[in-house]
Amino acid sequence: MQPARGIAPRAGTSPPEADLPILSFILKRVIQAGFVLVAVTLFVSFAIRLTGDPAVMMLRESANVTPEDLARIREGLGLNRPFLVQYGDFIGGLLTGELGNSFFRGAIAPLISGALGATLLLALTSLAVSLLISVPLGIYAATHRGSFGDQLVRVLSLAGLSFPNFWLGIMLVLIFSVTLRWLPPSGFTGPQSLIMPAVTIGVILTSTNLRIVRTTMLDVLSSQFIMVARAKGLSQTAVIYKHALRNSSIALVTYLGLQFGSLMGGLVVVELVFNWPGMGTLAIEAIAQRDYPILQTVISILAVLIVAVNLLVDLTYMLLDPRIRLE
Amino acid sequence: MTDLKSRLLIAALAATTALTAAPALAEGTLTVAQRQDPANWDPVDTFLVAWGSVASNIYDGLVRRDENLDLQPGLAESWEVLDEGMRIRFKLREGVQFHNGEPFNAEAVKYTFDRLLGEVGGAGPQQSNYTTIYRVEVVDATTVDFHMAQPDPVILTKLSGYGAMIVPPQYIEENGQEHFDMNPVGTGPFKFVSYEQGARIELEANAEYFEGAPELHGLVFRFIREDATRLAELQSGGVDLVTDVAFSAVPTIEAADNAGIVAVAGPSIYSLALKTKDAVTEDVRVRRALNMAVDKQALIDAFLAGRGSPIASLQGELSFGHDPELEGYPFDPQQAMALLEEAGVAPGTEMTIDYRAGNSTFNEVAQALTGFFAAVGLNVGLNPVEDGVFLNEIVPQGRTNEMYQFSWGGWTFDFDNTAYLTYHEGEKWNPYGTSDEMNALLDEQRQSPDQELREEILQKVAQLAHEEAYHIPLYNEETVYAVADRVEGFVPAPDKRLRLTDVSVAE
Amino acid sequence: MTGFKNFEFVAGLVLIVLIGGAVALSGLLFPDGGRAMDLTARLTAPFTGWNHPLGTDPLGRDILARVVVGGRVSFFVGIVSALGAVVIGTVVGLLAGYYRGPWDMFLMRFADIQLALPFILLAMTVIAIIGPGLDRIIVLMIVAQWVQYARLIRGSVLSLRQAEFVQAAQSYGLPDRKILFGHILPNAMGPLVILATLNVANNILLESSLTFLGLGIDPLVPSWGGMLADGRNYIQTAPWVTIFPGLAIMLTVLGLNLLGDWLRDRLDPLGATK
Repeated sequence: MQPARGIAPRAGTSPPEADLPILSFILKRVIQAGFVLVAVTLFVSFAIRLTGDPAVMMLRESANVTPEDLARIREGLGLNRPFLVQYGDFIGGLLTGELGNSFFRGAIAPLISGALGATLLLALTSLAVSLLISVPLGIYAATHRGSFGDQLVRVLSLAGLSFPNFWLGIMLVLIFSVTLRWLPPSGFTGPQSLIMPAVTIGVILTSTNLRIVRTTMLDVLSSQFIMVARAKGLSQTAVIYKHALRNSSIALVTYLGLQFGSLMGGLVVVELVFNWPGMGTLAIEAIAQRDYPILQTVISILAVLIVAVNLLVDLTYMLLDPRIRLE
Repeated sequence: MTDLKSRLLIAALAATTALTAAPALAEGTLTVAQRQDPANWDPVDTFLVAWGSVASNIYDGLVRRDENLDLQPGLAESWEVLDEGMRIRFKLREGVQFHNGEPFNAEAVKYTFDRLLGEVGGAGPQQSNYTTIYRVEVVDATTVDFHMAQPDPVILTKLSGYGAMIVPPQYIEENGQEHFDMNPVGTGPFKFVSYEQGARIELEANAEYFEGAPELHGLVFRFIREDATRLAELQSGGVDLVTDVAFSAVPTIEAADNAGIVAVAGPSIYSLALKTKDAVTEDVRVRRALNMAVDKQALIDAFLAGRGSPIASLQGELSFGHDPELEGYPFDPQQAMALLEEAGVAPGTEMTIDYRAGNSTFNEVAQALTGFFAAVGLNVGLNPVEDGVFLNEIVPQGRTNEMYQFSWGGWTFDFDNTAYLTYHEGEKWNPYGTSDEMNALLDEQRQSPDQELREEILQKVAQLAHEEAYHIPLYNEETVYAVADRVEGFVPAPDKRLRLTDVSVAE
Repeated sequence: MTGFKNFEFVAGLVLIVLIGGAVALSGLLFPDGGRAMDLTARLTAPFTGWNHPLGTDPLGRDILARVVVGGRVSFFVGIVSALGAVVIGTVVGLLAGYYRGPWDMFLMRFADIQLALPFILLAMTVIAIIGPGLDRIIVLMIVAQWVQYARLIRGSVLSLRQAEFVQAAQSYGLPDRKILFGHILPNAMGPLVILATLNVANNILLESSLTFLGLGIDPLVPSWGGMLADGRNYIQTAPWVTIFPGLAIMLTVLGLNLLGDWLRDRLDPLGATK
């Protein structure tokens, strides 16, 4: 790997020999991420302009639409300009934070910040819940390998992966809102609104995390350095928490990075079922209305998020396990 | 939006603390759940019923239409049609203020229509409904003259809704159009309080309303996309009134212990349009046979929970131009098969129905229709199409299959609205053309200020369309609301607007 | 441990053989394809008569017939899209891993882009352009998934390239094609089969999600996802309309997951598919 040109480590901070490969690795990953984002935004804003004419959508229920009406609206929406000009505007807006206006719904920035907050809250809550359940259960299963409890955990985690998630959501609403009237079925009216959507997403996350924790723990526990550690008289608890868990967390972090995109996708359906005011709900409305500005912003921001998370995962990876570096 | 953000934050912090049941409603507040968030509260920017149901409580027009669809004074106390329909003079109500304190007067009326017919209105969908108005002239502070470009028999009705809602000039000029989109101000019975996009809009009673303050203190609309979720909210006490109730849910609500169904005749009609060019349906005998193959009442009983009536033309009983004498084709599969044979259509002939995906009721109806057609020997397939594509590419370009969905819900309840659009040359919903006679009839009634003559012509139009069997008219559906038992005095209007001045809630 | 492995294998096999067998024979069992409607018998409750053992749906169609026939779509979508992704992914992965260079660049960058797009939103956008349909859903799933296989195979090739038997084959002057398909691919097969099994399960779930969102297929063709979507408005008055197809999905996916898990222990001791 070539040292990156133009980026010299600041003198006096740390030895250049040690920093250069890491810096150039980071730089390379950042450039790759930039490339990905350009490709994604270009693709998205081009593709959405093939989905149909927002002017027609706007006038879809009007009785007497003339071609002049349509042309006038397109002009007003700025759709008559060349694609690259529109794309340039969009990217400029993303970079400066001036997200502009939706075709139908006023300024985009407050919409996005609200929806992104709601989606992240849901995603992080589900993640937290799933870790709280899966890590202890995974450790238990791995340390009691072959026991009845282990087998139960494994079957349950497989079953958890076998639900259509929207179906699970609907069932939860039926039981806890309609029949028992314990929880509000939709929207966001307080912390209790989080429970069912978080559980719906959490079931899938928990099932996968559980399997990862269990398998990596088993791998580590049967590996040589643990044998050595045990031979040296290290206690079981120390082995699990000092060594095995660390390795499991590397696997977990990697997995979460890779799956972050599909987690976001899964959220779309669950948000719809629970009328959660998040990015998925926003995007679905935007697709239905051909609201190009909102849809391209939502998808691009999700893409930025996914790319950033993966970048972070790669870097965390290096920190957690210094042996794994630079591919 | 910062409100939502801070609430989400609080929720995140509080997520582990004790949980309470669904929040109790404050005294005198009614919560409505509807499918769609119109996302923009400016009257010139919308065509959505979802806008009308909320905004009818915020704005007034010069005239108002009551629960029986009769025109009543609104912000105008009276009006006169002059110069053979070329000029309408309105006498305005005095002493009315907008919610921000700004006075309502002739200037506000002129401003409203200059805006609607000018550049601002031009970027939205409402302008095209009002192009028969040439200009609005201020006569004095409480009198305005509408000068017409041509007589428009439906204009008074149109002035009671949507684009013709009177808006506050100073407020808009001072705060800008974008601010107005999200922070509506009108003269109506409820004042705007807050709006969370995609989630809810909150209103409070306007104590100074010119017809007296409403019974409710607060009015909240929540936007919930999923049919089943809106219903679950009603059952768990989160909302009091649900609009756009799926017919399949009617039995559930009828059986519920805390809510019931309120239904009212509505404007929406459903039909299948038939392709009259370059298809097997170009033969009128085939089109009549298809009409006879369908048992409309069975569809209504099975999929509309009985909440609808069969139609013989593209209008319901309340529509101006409805002819009670006109009888639809009878359900007669034998006769249908005979006609098909006569027309040389072999058993097993394939046809396809294009229809708009997303409406769960019509999705079932369409499937059942294929069953009826199968019973007369036709092999009919289905092609559900997403709204945008259907309305954009398939219908106006004449790229439909033999049959395609036509459903319409003109809030004016005047057959002209539907008939012109489906039978007149060059209109969006008439891609295959009708006849010169039809065009002439439609033009004639548009020119005429004589309502009796218009009614006669519109009935003739319906008769002609029936004979030619351009469509298979199916049913006129009722508008169904699910209402919590604690709601009192809810009398819905047939035009789907939801004016909740006389409604109250019991504790 | 072996007891559990046997349990996984037997349970998975029984589920898949039973459900898959019924689906495969659906043409013989239900010659009308579950399409016969009877509006007078709509929403008949299950277990009330022999005509409709699992009840009927809102159009008076037999649910048992529709569940069995509906499996065809699920299995078809699941298997065809997984196969398509395997074939494309394998070829690209082999080329990228063996030759590196531009193939490798292309693969890895494409993988990055594909990873950055939320699939369901992308699918909804694309369907809005090209219209809904079974074939389009399959193509979208292949586009979304081939990269996983390509990366997997690429990884195997990179490690196998240095293996002695490959080096030997190269020194004998064997053509690349023979080395790739005759020597490297068979050794990379295990993880591929496991991933494919799990993806068939995943795709069945995905198809039902897409149909639920209204991107699905011809409503006259019974499918599990479509039945769930259509039944959701009846969930309180006639829950059986949704419960049976939901169960069918769950049991099928569970069966495939059990088999995949079992296969993983048999074929992938090194853990390439973890």
